[in-house]
Amino acid sequence: MVNGYAPQTLREALEIKRKEQVSPYGGGTDLMVDHHRTGTYLFLHRIAEMQEIKQDDNYLRLGAGCTFTEVQEHALTPPILKEAISRIAAPAIRNLGTIGGNIGNGSAKADSVLVFFALDAKLRLMDADGERIVPIHAFYKGRKALDLALDELIVEILLPRVIPTRYVYHKIGARAALAISRLSFAGLWNVEGGKITACSTAFGAIDQVVVRIPEVDKILIGTPVAELDSVKERYLAAAGEAINPIDGRISAHYRKTVCLNLLDDFVETMKKA
Amino acid sequence: MSIPFTLNGKPAAYEGSATDRLVDILRKDFKCPGVKVGCNEGECGACSIIMDGVLINACMVAAGRAYDTEIITIEGFRETEKFAVLDRCFAETGAVQCGFCTPGMILAAECILTKNPNPNEAEIRDGLSGNMCRCTGYNAIVHAVALAAKEGKGLW
Repeated sequence: MVNGYAPQTLREALEIKRKEQVSPYGGGTDLMVDHHRTGTYLFLHRIAEMQEIKQDDNYLRLGAGCTFTEVQEHALTPPILKEAISRIAAPAIRNLGTIGGNIGNGSAKADSVLVFFALDAKLRLMDADGERIVPIHAFYKGRKALDLALDELIVEILLPRVIPTRYVYHKIGARAALAISRLSFAGLWNVEGGKITACSTAFGAIDQVVVRIPEVDKILIGTPVAELDSVKERYLAAAGEAINPIDGRISAHYRKTVCLNLLDDFVETMKKA
Repeated sequence: MSIPFTLNGKPAAYEGSATDRLVDILRKDFKCPGVKVGCNEGECGACSIIMDGVLINACMVAAGRAYDTEIITIEGFRETEKFAVLDRCFAETGAVQCGFCTPGMILAAECILTKNPNPNEAEIRDGLSGNMCRCTGYNAIVHAVALAAKEGKGLW
């Protein structure tokens, strides 16, 4: 075809990626917004190996070519990811957009990426010679700056098999549907024997990349639920130090205020649960 | 090398650039003007079509993405019995005014009912959430889909 390749196997795709200058095309829902009809696309939709969802001993493996709808409807998908996807755009976009594309687009506003950060996902990247596994937080170097070589493709997203069972997810957008996040929040935790045994939070759309602050989350781990009130102030103060949003279409002041309100609410939810 | 796909049940092939927009090709090269161009950025749903059984926005698709897919536009769907039911129900509830969003709305309705023949109001509204209407208002359209679910029992 003219200006494009539509390989059927991952091997073929990786060989094309090595030899030619091509833009990987997942669902196209970001690429087509800034569409200039230049360049050459590497269409990935015919590659069955990139559209599988399966689990092994360590990971739930999501093929990078899975659409949001396919991930949302799969029985193995964690509830927090299902909820986040349900708030992305509208059905027709979710039917096209892929999770690999959401990551590869390199935006801190990407709603599935927020959840992948909160779950400490890893990415499986491949080139024609082999593969490497990179934690998602290390993969993002900045806005649109990714640890991805010219001849590599994002092939799978690896989620830990065991994740905290309780969660909250908030997306603040201008509309109910078809809204880009003004700010988004994912928080997961576990309670065992009356104590917080796991806690993981992430913020989207406040900086060049999704913000994850495990050192602050650690403050809550080990705290008895009944004593959350006594550590809340210290937790919020530490979060206030660590979270320094950038100014953009939304002001840094607004972003920070909302982040801290959401964390306050997060602790209150933990107390009730 | 062309881009082969199925359009409204018939084999089709596009000889042009894989980076061309599907919505433009469907309108100009394949004479399907029922695929409307509204926003051209995936926000309005006027260009909704069915690709491999699911609703998508044709403005968000480069031609190469259509390789090996099955595409249904309103021009094909209007030949079906399901369309006849939706057509009647949209008319009965006054769900059409200017008609610009209607091809997309009809195909969105078809996808809602295919997935779930007895949708509740929230499910209908979610299914239509990517399709904008600027004159009829949504209530009449939601009623039309609910009515079609009743009148077309057994079809979906």
